[in-house]
Amino acid sequence: MGVKGHRTVDDTGNFEHPLYKVLFQIPGLTLAATALDHVLTWGMTNALWTFPMATSCCGIEFMASAASRVDIDRMGTIVRASPRQADVMVVAGTITVKMAPRVKKLWDQMPEPKWCIAMGSCAISGDFYRNLYSVVPGVDTFLPVDVYVPGCPPNPEALMHGFLRLQEKVRAMRQGAKVVGDPNPELLRVTKPSNPRLVDADRTAALDEAQVSSAETATDLEVAPPVSVPLEAVPAPFAASNATELDGVLADFGILPAGKQGPPLVPVERHLELARRLKGLGYRQLVSIVATHWLAGKGRGGNEAGEVEHHEVVYLLRTVGPGTRVATWAVRPLAGQPVPSLSEVYAGADWQEREQFDLLGVVFSGHPDLRRLMMAENYTGHPLRRDFAADTAAAPWR
Amino acid sequence: MSGFVHGLSYGAVIVTVLMTVTAFSLWFERKLAARMQSRLGPTLVGPAGILQPIADVLKLLQKEDIVPLKADAVLFNLAPPVAVVCAIGVAAAVPFSPTVVAADLDVGVLYVLAIGAVTVLPVFTAGWASNNKLALLGGMRAVAQSVSYEVPLVLAALVPVILAGSMRIGAIVQFQSDHHWFVAWPFFLGIPAFVIFVLAMLAEANRIPFDIPEAESELVAGVTTEYTGMKFALFYMAEYVHTLVASAVASALFLGGWDGGPFRPGLHWMVLKTLFLFAGLYWIRWTLLRFRSDQLMRLCWRYLVPSSIALVATAGVWVVFVG
Repeated sequence: MGVKGHRTVDDTGNFEHPLYKVLFQIPGLTLAATALDHVLTWGMTNALWTFPMATSCCGIEFMASAASRVDIDRMGTIVRASPRQADVMVVAGTITVKMAPRVKKLWDQMPEPKWCIAMGSCAISGDFYRNLYSVVPGVDTFLPVDVYVPGCPPNPEALMHGFLRLQEKVRAMRQGAKVVGDPNPELLRVTKPSNPRLVDADRTAALDEAQVSSAETATDLEVAPPVSVPLEAVPAPFAASNATELDGVLADFGILPAGKQGPPLVPVERHLELARRLKGLGYRQLVSIVATHWLAGKGRGGNEAGEVEHHEVVYLLRTVGPGTRVATWAVRPLAGQPVPSLSEVYAGADWQEREQFDLLGVVFSGHPDLRRLMMAENYTGHPLRRDFAADTAAAPWR
Repeated sequence: MSGFVHGLSYGAVIVTVLMTVTAFSLWFERKLAARMQSRLGPTLVGPAGILQPIADVLKLLQKEDIVPLKADAVLFNLAPPVAVVCAIGVAAAVPFSPTVVAADLDVGVLYVLAIGAVTVLPVFTAGWASNNKLALLGGMRAVAQSVSYEVPLVLAALVPVILAGSMRIGAIVQFQSDHHWFVAWPFFLGIPAFVIFVLAMLAEANRIPFDIPEAESELVAGVTTEYTGMKFALFYMAEYVHTLVASAVASALFLGGWDGGPFRPGLHWMVLKTLFLFAGLYWIRWTLLRFRSDQLMRLCWRYLVPSSIALVATAGVWVVFVG
């Protein structure tokens, strides 16, 4: 009885398990198994414990959905802090290229069976951060998303609805239905490739290669061992910070008082010496280091130095105390030419130089620890360079 | 032999009832917590969400069982069942009525405290075996906390022992039944000893406000960070059973056990008192915040230990000169 109509071989081969026919002949066993399966499915769908992968504003809405007005605990959803005890990962927020491997790792740490809800536009497609160099365009590029909850951010009711739809999906799958995945609602409106730079006439294969090779600078760089330099004896903080003396120093370096063309240019070789002199004059705080990148023939303001590819690094110092004065200058290293690091004069230069190196590929010689600061360690390219584009083969997460 | 059969059969009944009560106390706690936060708690799974614990267990049974690659697999798998066994083991010596008891030992109080103290062992084992820094930190905190709070716990439990003149829990309850509950008289001994006992018991069971071993804002999930499915559920169950049994011990030692005051004594009084105390602990849990580690230690060594020593000394003087 009852053998006919049951599948006794697996889908792919002709293998038939020896117990299949025997088991199906036991009266009532199929009935019991079906009933048990219903009970287990009921248990599985009604206790969806959640791991909140909350990174931004969607996380706030997620918290709201666990709080008093919506209360996802009504359907038995507990929020667990450990991925080992969770069934559903709710990705709530923008996932950056640096964060994505961590999200993947947490996902891998969750025990099967597990599901993923992409909550909000950023998790679904990256939304208006989609073309940003640091953002993953939707978590479905590296996670199997079961339910999309659109919105920016979705309100808690929408998330609750997402949970209910996940329950339906799990129920259907457990009954053997072939469940077609949700279409990504954001992608219905977006045509790939969405990045206008891809159709840029200036974009050439050479630029792609430059992007990759500039990233190799980051990985192949030999990092100088950390050095600890004692602070130099500095005169009284603002004793010498008067205009004439500063002008004298600048004149020493062949610099005229700041003109209309921006900060005065200093030769790269004398730049460290200038910083030392200025610190001795009471300029004790390094406010900022800002770099820009120029391709050949595209210099700043028609400047003749724009004939070749170069960086321009602008330094800003100030005195501390009453009567604050600022000093600024720029250096203009050619492509690949190292700039002496200021980190032995100003401790605060360490991270600022790392940031400029990370985003623009400016190489600082003598820096104790020149690694990427903001982008992931294995990031390809320096995203603020002019030859960088996010939607290329050089950006493999796309 | 009949004693063995008696103990075995009552033990089986007590364990079954304990587990059931524990499971539904989870539902009760979620509802209570929800009400305290003006939420509803589980409503959709069964009437008023009463079937929620069953769904949880069914779900946990189906989850993948992960043993981390670099964990010590033997210890990692051994820790959760040991935790539950220790927690249930305490129940063996707790008399729920003169007859409903698995084994009313002559050294019942000693046995209860000893087995209760062992519960820290599986917790630390789990922390060590997980090979996870958060779990290890949780385990270390659990050891520090449990070893410290063992001292006031034992000293507070000594007070009824001295007053009743016996270490048999049944005899202590009988003494209270014949004379007076220890929280009622001598109240200046009974009430502080009761409070210290309950505090130390909370700390032993790692419950809020003493749940720093699994402080989720710092340690993810503490010692249970790496545990999946039923192994995690066993830890959870151990914590709840431990709290429930400790409530029963406190009821027996201080609240007169099965004695009903002016009413007829019976099993129901013990059950009522235990559940009342248990619910009170939930109330504490969802009201208070977590202590910091150093605050916890200060509370124990600077306040609880000296005052419990003073209580024991006073109890001795009281028994010699008055009682």
